[in-house]
Amino acid sequence: MDFSTLEAILRPDQILSGAAASRGYDCDAYTVDRSKPSVIVLPETTLEVAAVVRWCAASQVPFTSRGAGTGLSGGAMPALGGVVISTKRMNHILEIDLENRCMLAQTGIANRRLTDAVKADGFHFAPDPSSQSVSTLGGNIGENAGGPHTLKYGVTVQHILGVTMVDPLGEILTIGGKLGCGPGYDFLGLICGSEGTLGVVTEAWVKLTPLPKAVTTALVAFPTIRSATETVAGIIATGTIPAALEMMDRGIMNAVALAFKLTFPSEAQALLLVECDGDDADVVAKEMESVRTVCESNGCLEIRIASDEKERANLWMVRKKGIGAMGRIAPSIVTHDGVIPRSKLPEMLDFVYEVAEAHKIGVANIFHAGDGNLHPCFYFDDRDPLQVERVIEAGEIIIKKCIELGGSVSGEHGIGVEKMDLMPLMFSPADLEAQAMCKRIFNDGMLCNPCKVLPNQRGCAEHKMRWRGVAT
Amino acid sequence: MHDLDELLTHCIRCGFCLEDCPTFVETGNELESPRGRIYLVRSALEGKLNWQDDVKPHMDLCLGCRACETACPSAVEYGAIFEMARDIIEREKPSMSKRALLASTTNPGILKAQLAASKFLPGGRVPNFVSKLLSGSKAEADLPTVQANKPLPTFETEVSVRGEVFMLTGCAMQVLYPRVHECTRRLLRRIGYVIRDVPQGCCGALHAHNGDLTTARKLGTELVRAFTGDIPIIVNSAGCGSTMKEYADLIGPECADVAGRTFDLSEFLLSHGLVDELAKAPGLGGVTVTYHDACHLSHGQKVTSPPRELIQAIPNSTFVELPESMMCCGSAGVYNVLQPEMARRLLDRKVGHIKETDAEIVATGNPGCHAWIAQGCREQRSARVMHTAELLEAAFVGLDGFVM
Repeated sequence: MDFSTLEAILRPDQILSGAAASRGYDCDAYTVDRSKPSVIVLPETTLEVAAVVRWCAASQVPFTSRGAGTGLSGGAMPALGGVVISTKRMNHILEIDLENRCMLAQTGIANRRLTDAVKADGFHFAPDPSSQSVSTLGGNIGENAGGPHTLKYGVTVQHILGVTMVDPLGEILTIGGKLGCGPGYDFLGLICGSEGTLGVVTEAWVKLTPLPKAVTTALVAFPTIRSATETVAGIIATGTIPAALEMMDRGIMNAVALAFKLTFPSEAQALLLVECDGDDADVVAKEMESVRTVCESNGCLEIRIASDEKERANLWMVRKKGIGAMGRIAPSIVTHDGVIPRSKLPEMLDFVYEVAEAHKIGVANIFHAGDGNLHPCFYFDDRDPLQVERVIEAGEIIIKKCIELGGSVSGEHGIGVEKMDLMPLMFSPADLEAQAMCKRIFNDGMLCNPCKVLPNQRGCAEHKMRWRGVAT
Repeated sequence: MHDLDELLTHCIRCGFCLEDCPTFVETGNELESPRGRIYLVRSALEGKLNWQDDVKPHMDLCLGCRACETACPSAVEYGAIFEMARDIIEREKPSMSKRALLASTTNPGILKAQLAASKFLPGGRVPNFVSKLLSGSKAEADLPTVQANKPLPTFETEVSVRGEVFMLTGCAMQVLYPRVHECTRRLLRRIGYVIRDVPQGCCGALHAHNGDLTTARKLGTELVRAFTGDIPIIVNSAGCGSTMKEYADLIGPECADVAGRTFDLSEFLLSHGLVDELAKAPGLGGVTVTYHDACHLSHGQKVTSPPRELIQAIPNSTFVELPESMMCCGSAGVYNVLQPEMARRLLDRKVGHIKETDAEIVATGNPGCHAWIAQGCREQRSARVMHTAELLEAAFVGLDGFVM
């Protein structure tokens, strides 16, 4: 394939190729499967993206869009090679409209920078995945990212008013806008969470949410996993919806203790991070008081309540950087993303530990307890193919159990390549065909982020073996 | 000592470093990010990539600022990875011009001779043929010139002597910024400490950062010998302090005690009561001051609060935070000579932020940043740059002796 004709579209510094570039872009934060692109492009505008996509369509070259590459299911892995379209040079805020509480930005901007731009005016962009300091707006839209505050504020789709998108043929589409979607079918809902398989979203109107006037955050230590999970159910039963309700186990405590020199009660086996917020300080204080009562009645060991913004940031660091800190313990991790009904949490966690033990791999748990979204984090050494196999197998068993308990294969990390083969566990062939029909509205070919989300796609099976593990 | 293979395994590719890496923020290129570079080094060690063709260009563009270490939840020791990778690359194929640059910058005699010669060069800049040889492009950095100064007022203090310390006189600092050493001496005396002067050489930091670990170890070993005795070692150059605090990893366990008694000047002044002395000083007559974090102070040594606390304790002055104060200015040792284009982009970004603050003075704690930011501010008619030590001494004696 002759890629040099791309030089007619972009400046030389916007085109990367060669052994190092192909290596550097062969995976995202999901490292079990890898596949090398031939070329990486760094467009700066929607028009440049459209020109690149038209080039790909005309040349029949597959393309995959990529933001910060922090995805955990291989969504930005170029499964069939070809071109990686990086949005990292499209990182500008184009318009801020405080009066109408919205903002237009290019999708390569890091999530955190959206909030940074309006914080002083009392607003924020509410979706807050743990990776928010680096993960991009485009990636958040692609995965329909959640985060700790999902419980109260909802996921990304609830905060997107409109997008500009380049479709798989290179046409520029505008869906929704400053005022959100009009009447008719909700294409915006389809685009959010489509994992880059329907096109490349280049700009988005996002909703700005007022910062709550009062916030109180507590980190509570429990002697057993079960006492913590039962507290979660107890808190929800009081009718209080905390802004966040997060759980971490001993494995995560060990990692963050090493990372940030934090100490926890030695007999603690689980931590709950609870945040209450609102505009009325008295109401918020009362909510936290009822949380405290539930924690105490479940035998908690210690309650730390942040007294200022700095302490609050410290408590959150345990949660936000918990997964990242796992590198202290092992060279590689795979973080799963199953969902189960909240009431099944105690049973499910027991199962996770049993599976890890049976497969002789380490596991740490850090997750959104409030909405039953589990993140078992397996830690291992990816240089050992046997360990990689055991990790994949254990993950599948756990996800199967989630479905058995009435849950889902993914909460917020997406299907990517990681969980494609698990989709039939959750959906019937007719369900999957309906999804494939939806995809064909925008993407009727095999070029735009191929071999993702839907299983058994033409032309993907033979490539699959090449992605896996340490081979390349 | 470090094992490179082991160091690399700590990166789990979460990417939390990306937005803190100056070269990634400027280019958007994964290969110019810490995560990308670690992946390249790991691949080269595994024999999947070539050190010279595939890895070297990206290690060359790295500033070694270690902002990624501050961002990293897994405590990947990127600084050590960076130095070891550069060392492998240099040993495989030595760059003579880079060696010569290092040797001349870190030898006070040669540096002085160069300064004398630079008066005759057009524009006071590195001649383009030399720059082309080193970096392949046009020079951006002015040749260093010795700081112009008037004598400071006679020193007076009623504080009695309570102890002795060593001070690293270093290589470039003593030639370019003798005033910084003078102020360091006066400030230490203000809190009751005198300097025990001993013959000493270069600390080896620039060598360590630029792929010559052998020379760095040799210089470090000699320096530790010069500082024998159990008294504190005061360093007023961030890059040097950072390397000295890590001598145990670089050289070996015989240097285990050095980290515990090496202090950045700001740390020592704060913990030994300069704030009380400052309270009695006349201060700065209402000027606005901002502060740039030298990378090897903030990221390398995790010292961010002491300089701010001291500056904020200066009477009759206003302190404003500098946006992106912890992002590298592009000086990075000899980086602005070896990578002039990226260094220039980062300098423009830095000076742009300085202008936003409307500050009249920018304080910083490293000679490289000092010279480079001063050049940028001069070109764009922005604030004057002072070493933190100079600013603090000026609080006692006034700004008159400090010529811009």
